[in-house]
Amino acid sequence: MAKVPGISTDLGSNQVVEVPADLGDERSVARQLGWGFWLCAGWLALVVILAVLAPILPLADPNKTAVGGRLEGPRSGLWFGADSTGRDVFSLTIWGARISLLVGLIAIVVGFLVGGTVGILAGYFRGWFDKIVSFIFATLLSFPALILAILITTLLGRTVFWISISLGILAIAPVGRLARAQTLVFAEKDFVVAARILGASDRRILTRELLPNVVIPMSALALLGMGIAIVAEGTLAFLGISVADGLSWGKQIFDAGSRATDLQNGPHAALFPIGVVFLTVLALNYAGDRLREVFDAKELAF
Amino acid sequence: MKVVAQRLGQMILVVLAVTFLAFAAMNLLGDPLFNILGPVAAAEEGDPNYSMVVEARETYHLDDPFVVRYGRWLGDVATGDFGRSFKNQQNVRTILADKLPVTVLLMVYAQVIAVVISVPWALWTASRAYRLGDKVSTVVSFGLLGIPVFALVVVLFWLFAVRWEIFPTRFDDADLGSRLWSLFLPAVALATPLIATYQRLLRTDLISTLQEDFIAVARAKGMSRWHVLFRHALRPSLFSMLTVFGIQTGALIGGSIVVEQYFGIPGIGRAVIEAIIRDDFPLVLAVVVVVSVIFVLVNFLVDLLYSYLDPRVSFDG
Repeated sequence: MAKVPGISTDLGSNQVVEVPADLGDERSVARQLGWGFWLCAGWLALVVILAVLAPILPLADPNKTAVGGRLEGPRSGLWFGADSTGRDVFSLTIWGARISLLVGLIAIVVGFLVGGTVGILAGYFRGWFDKIVSFIFATLLSFPALILAILITTLLGRTVFWISISLGILAIAPVGRLARAQTLVFAEKDFVVAARILGASDRRILTRELLPNVVIPMSALALLGMGIAIVAEGTLAFLGISVADGLSWGKQIFDAGSRATDLQNGPHAALFPIGVVFLTVLALNYAGDRLREVFDAKELAF
Repeated sequence: MKVVAQRLGQMILVVLAVTFLAFAAMNLLGDPLFNILGPVAAAEEGDPNYSMVVEARETYHLDDPFVVRYGRWLGDVATGDFGRSFKNQQNVRTILADKLPVTVLLMVYAQVIAVVISVPWALWTASRAYRLGDKVSTVVSFGLLGIPVFALVVVLFWLFAVRWEIFPTRFDDADLGSRLWSLFLPAVALATPLIATYQRLLRTDLISTLQEDFIAVARAKGMSRWHVLFRHALRPSLFSMLTVFGIQTGALIGGSIVVEQYFGIPGIGRAVIEAIIRDDFPLVLAVVVVVSVIFVLVNFLVDLLYSYLDPRVSFDG
């Protein structure tokens, strides 16, 4: 560094002020997330790709019985074995992933769209609107989630669309409450106050100042939310009240795991899908947790 | 006391809103007449069955405006009258009295197991934070959190009831001992996610409490490690865990539906599933009332407990 005459970086003593070359974190976001995150992302990508490609993969028809012997163990060509009616467990698991993942995805999108919008508006405009919204959130949260889900799905119908919507409704209150709380914090910050003094409209402040600061960190929570939605759909399916005639992990696990004799003779038919659900939920939780830490988002209280 | 009264008022408001929502949903989206009478409900004037329709309309006051019906239902509930089940005309209060105890037993059982396991576990991990045992515990805890209850029940049932035949496969209602014995697997399944949640929260809070001066003083006075952990560090660290304890009661109610259905336990969770599928309004509404009152009450008690845990938290402040 060339010395500028008259200006000394020497502070009298031997102390020299060192200015770091880069004030931001030197490590890239990808590195910060760590290998565990990428392992989880890899597993999720695998499950998603298999689920999306299920119709064109060389899989046995998941509804076809007697593909293998009754509760036949895993072998090459029948990787997860067969269930009590001889259906291919591997094919069932892949096809089941389609509904489970789709419902989880739609549910979390609905939750973020509605909850995020209403939460930001309530936190920004305050007043009576905020009071009503907060009360609705408190009411929704004091409903046991599963009872609410069962109630809504029974009344609306058991199609992929309505199941997703009803699980999405469950996500509205937790997402909305967080969005509201974050908006309250950001609405007081200097850059928002400055924008207002400069004469920016509410609409501009909401979309240009608050939206990027509130929603983008929260989207790190989408993976965690998706995990919760997938478990919720699995639970409904396990209870026999999810998508009426669709294949789903919850239903598959119930079919294979609800009779003691089946579990005695061929536990693999239940344990393989259980393993896949477990790994998928774990991967969503871990990846979501890492994203939350790296983006420093607040925790979601479900 | 003013704050307590305010909280109570808020609680009543929430319960009212929850029941109104459930009442509205069931009435607006379903057809109560159809659920009472079945296909006969479609009978029109002149049809021989039409008198039944008129009669049902009168007994259930179906012609009154919606809000009037909600008001009447609320008045009945306030006097302890939950009406009769559409299914077999059984008094809903009898059904509740019959099914609620086993569900409450199951939930308390699960909470006890969760606390008994998670508190010592958290103390142990916090006292050796960031060392190997703690790191392994964090991974285990994270894994436990990822197992859905519906998958866990199958695994537990397969291992302990089918394979090793330690526990009975069916619920045994003979006496309290056999009830507790046969409810053990269901309760463990319910408790597992709670154990992980409590351990994580309590560990974090304990680690920050252990940094405080009064802990160093207690240790310097020569008190043993476990004495300090139990008698000094635990109480001020219980806040987050307690808050979640209240919130988790809701999740527990959901979990108990799965567990009761799978293990064939004749509790309220099983009853409500059947009732919802059959659109049995009085029973569903009664369960919604009971469940939301339990949930709100537990959370209210948790709030009261805060000031016991830390006298600086005051309701009169």
